[in-house]
Amino acid sequence: MSIGGKKIDKLGDNISDSLFEFAQFDNKEAEKIGYTNYSYWKSTWNSFTKNKVAFLLLILVIVLLAFTMIQPFLPGQKSPTEIYINAGTNLQDKNVVPSSKFWFGTNSIGQDLWARIWSGTRTSLLIGFAVGIFEAIVGIFIGALWGYVRKLDVIITQIYNVVDNIPTTIILILMTYVLRPSISTMIFALCLTGWLQMARFVRNQIIIIRDREYNLASRCLGTPTRRIIFKNLLPYLISVIMLRIALAIPIAIGSEVFLTYIGLGLPISIPSLGNLVNEGRILMMTPSLRYQLIFPSVVISIITIAFYVIGNTFADAADPKNHV
Amino acid sequence: MSYCEAKDNKEVILSVKDIKVNFKLRGQVLNAIRGISLDLYKGESLAIVGESGSGKSVFTKTFMGLLESNGYIDGGSIIYKGKDLSKFKFEKDWHGIRGKEIAMVSQDPMTSLNPLKIVGKQVQEGIELHRNLKGAEAKKLAIKLLEDVGISDPEKRYYQYPHEFSGGMRQRVVIAIAIGCNPEILICDEPTTALDVTMQAQILDLLKNIQKEYNLTIIYITHDLGVVAKVADRVGVMYAGDIVEIGLSEEIFYNAKHPYTWALLSSLPQLGIKGEELYSINGTPVNLFKEIKGDAFAPRNPRALKIDFELAPPYFEVSTTHKAKTWLLDPRAPKVEYPKALKKLFDEWEG
Amino acid sequence: MENEKEILLEVKNLKIEFGSKKNKFVAVDDVSFNIYKGETFGLVGESGSGKTTIGRSIIRINQVSDGQIIYNGEKISGKISKSLDKEITKKIQMIFQDPMASLNERAKVDYIVSEGLYNINNYKSEEERKAIVEKALLEVGLLPEFASRFPHEFSGGQRQRIGIARALVMKPEFIIADEPISALDVSIRAQVLNLLSSLQKSNYLTYLFIAHDLSVVRFIADRIGVIYKGKIVELAEAEALFINPIHPYTKALLSAIPQPDPRKEKNKKIEVYDSSCHSYDEDKPKFVEIEEDHFILANDEEINQYKESGNMIAIDSSQAV
Repeated sequence: MSIGGKKIDKLGDNISDSLFEFAQFDNKEAEKIGYTNYSYWKSTWNSFTKNKVAFLLLILVIVLLAFTMIQPFLPGQKSPTEIYINAGTNLQDKNVVPSSKFWFGTNSIGQDLWARIWSGTRTSLLIGFAVGIFEAIVGIFIGALWGYVRKLDVIITQIYNVVDNIPTTIILILMTYVLRPSISTMIFALCLTGWLQMARFVRNQIIIIRDREYNLASRCLGTPTRRIIFKNLLPYLISVIMLRIALAIPIAIGSEVFLTYIGLGLPISIPSLGNLVNEGRILMMTPSLRYQLIFPSVVISIITIAFYVIGNTFADAADPKNHV
Repeated sequence: MSYCEAKDNKEVILSVKDIKVNFKLRGQVLNAIRGISLDLYKGESLAIVGESGSGKSVFTKTFMGLLESNGYIDGGSIIYKGKDLSKFKFEKDWHGIRGKEIAMVSQDPMTSLNPLKIVGKQVQEGIELHRNLKGAEAKKLAIKLLEDVGISDPEKRYYQYPHEFSGGMRQRVVIAIAIGCNPEILICDEPTTALDVTMQAQILDLLKNIQKEYNLTIIYITHDLGVVAKVADRVGVMYAGDIVEIGLSEEIFYNAKHPYTWALLSSLPQLGIKGEELYSINGTPVNLFKEIKGDAFAPRNPRALKIDFELAPPYFEVSTTHKAKTWLLDPRAPKVEYPKALKKLFDEWEG
Repeated sequence: MENEKEILLEVKNLKIEFGSKKNKFVAVDDVSFNIYKGETFGLVGESGSGKTTIGRSIIRINQVSDGQIIYNGEKISGKISKSLDKEITKKIQMIFQDPMASLNERAKVDYIVSEGLYNINNYKSEEERKAIVEKALLEVGLLPEFASRFPHEFSGGQRQRIGIARALVMKPEFIIADEPISALDVSIRAQVLNLLSSLQKSNYLTYLFIAHDLSVVRFIADRIGVIYKGKIVELAEAEALFINPIHPYTKALLSAIPQPDPRKEKNKKIEVYDSSCHSYDEDKPKFVEIEEDHFILANDEEINQYKESGNMIAIDSSQAV
């Protein structure tokens, strides 16, 4: 068409005059804007999967969970509590190192460690999830009211200050002492103290956003407090709440291990990761028997690390500012 | 030094040729700057006027390498003192340019200052970094700068924190920090938008005085035409990542040629007649994700020609200093009268 | 200037304080003005002057420390009955400044616009509600299909219009517009201003227009009150204020308005207001009517000064017109 220089004139020569008439002007066309088809959860998922480590750990956790559920129904599984007698010596099959018969070996009284590990993981995860969900529901509920309703702020702050100052350990010990050691006692004791931190956290977040203009607008429109909390405030806090729930699970499991360590955990008849770690700890000094400590420790480590990483990555992914 | 004198001296201090900037956003590519060429002359005050989404901030950020991580230069060149700034890849390439040669004053004085450091130290920081002065000498210069920008009692206020200053005062401190580095070019990105109207005029006067005293070249980025009228020698109007009209300040206000410039001027309430509707541009700024065919302003332009939707207009020269990208200036285009609201302004052109 | 104009809103000696007893901050100090039915009243001041606080206290977001706000003859400040509160929610609505912050990002436009409807339950069926939302969106110049989208997909001007639609579905009589265009682009401001004007005519609305930009207020307001540090210093009809500003602060504000005219702007000399030019220790200032419909905050000494310096258009000559 043209070769540098007088480009403008050259262009002009090739355009027909009819193009220099007025075009139709459509008001509506001017209003239409580029529809980006943005979905919040889709973008969150995309952002999450960009982090390969978190994604792998998520798959690992799902596989782990699935396996703990189906493990008892697989063929060739042994009972976690049955004490195995060695057919040859007619004695308990104690402290057998991992072999083809006992995949993870046996413990000091002849129980199959493989079955015990999965049973214990089931128990610990049950405790962890139960406490996590309870913490979430109660913590968010109280935290939201605490943060949004000005009149309740003073009262609840005082209650919080009092309860928070009682050491968690004392409460846990007291609970397990008073009630018989069992799974429900454990869950009850951990729930009693766990919701505090979540409530405080939610309350702080709500105080930050409660006076933003869109909330003032809702008040001007007469929206009741309940709906403001559910539709205006909580959706903003999804990412941070999910993070806290994700962290609550390993924390609960850790507390259970601790309580077992000081002797106030679940009875030995119920296998749990805490019990297993405790049993293995005693034999730690004997090199050949260390497997009894290593296996449960590895499981706890995987669970803890996985939930931490998944929780953090999800929190980052759920923040709309990161949806680029 | 006014633009005319500067142009006669023909000292181009920054030369931008056909620069293109893209952003990677949500899996798509956003064409933020679509090929701008501009020459900046030493000593002038250039104002770049545009609305949100026009790309005016992005354009000047390329001069300092401050593009966000998902932005990149997709072509063109920025020549400053013989170096092509668009080719800089590493942070250390920018060390000799940022602050020392090109400095920036941004919009919000609240967030531009470090709330944990005393104001004097923040001014001194730049001096020590770029001017080879240390300690007591740097401090003396910092105090002088605080005085130059109109802060009374500078020896005492040197030790105060940002929160002890009002908005206008903070902006003055930001200006002091910027000129402390002794730059050649000062970019002011909406320097008065966050300030009250009475403070605005004072800050603009300050900038004009500073420009004379320190022999600066200033680029103003703003959407406020009143600010432009006050400080600018030359004005460039940006729309959808392109400069659609550029010329001397008087040429743009009294003899604008591009329909978008007309629309911007007409929609000012100062020119409105009470009881009648203000002239307004319909619709919303264009979507920069898609390839734009023809004139970007065409869908919102009631005076659009058919060709505006087919082919992007080139620059048509109105004078040696004034050009506009609109097919209305083509000799074959129908004669179009400028909007009634601008009559008051356009009458001035005769004068 | 008919005397039969109906008063819709009365603000009487309004005082609003923040903070505890030791650290009191007086945001609004003894402010009184009336707003007539059908007019646009402009309240102009700089940041921190208290204008937003006044607006929010009318719509009952802020508490009033002293004084009264009377709407249509009924007191609406302080403690009021639930039924009156509900009525106020319908009759008085607000448009906010920042279109980025005033919409709930996680809710669809459909919910945002009908939020008020859910509260006052002014519709019989789901279809009716959808129809009301559609009508409101069309009224503000948006397309009905926008109802299923999220706020962040829209530009600032469109978001502001969604905010206006949200206020309109309540069928209000009185709208407080708190700096509705300050955060918008220049060309979009004109759109929104035109929209507000046309809505006023078609829906018989009364506006309290809060702003810091005098040129905008001049264009849209019938009467203007200038507020400085919690006190109204001058109140007059819009043109009268611009042609004949009396209070030094008003004069300073007027001279600072940027004109889009390079020759005038470059040669302009701005006036600066210094509050120490008043000496209010002995002679306390009062809010007096210095001309017809033109009020000013001044003490006796200053009133005499103003009258003598011939600033006044004598009241007699206006009657000759």
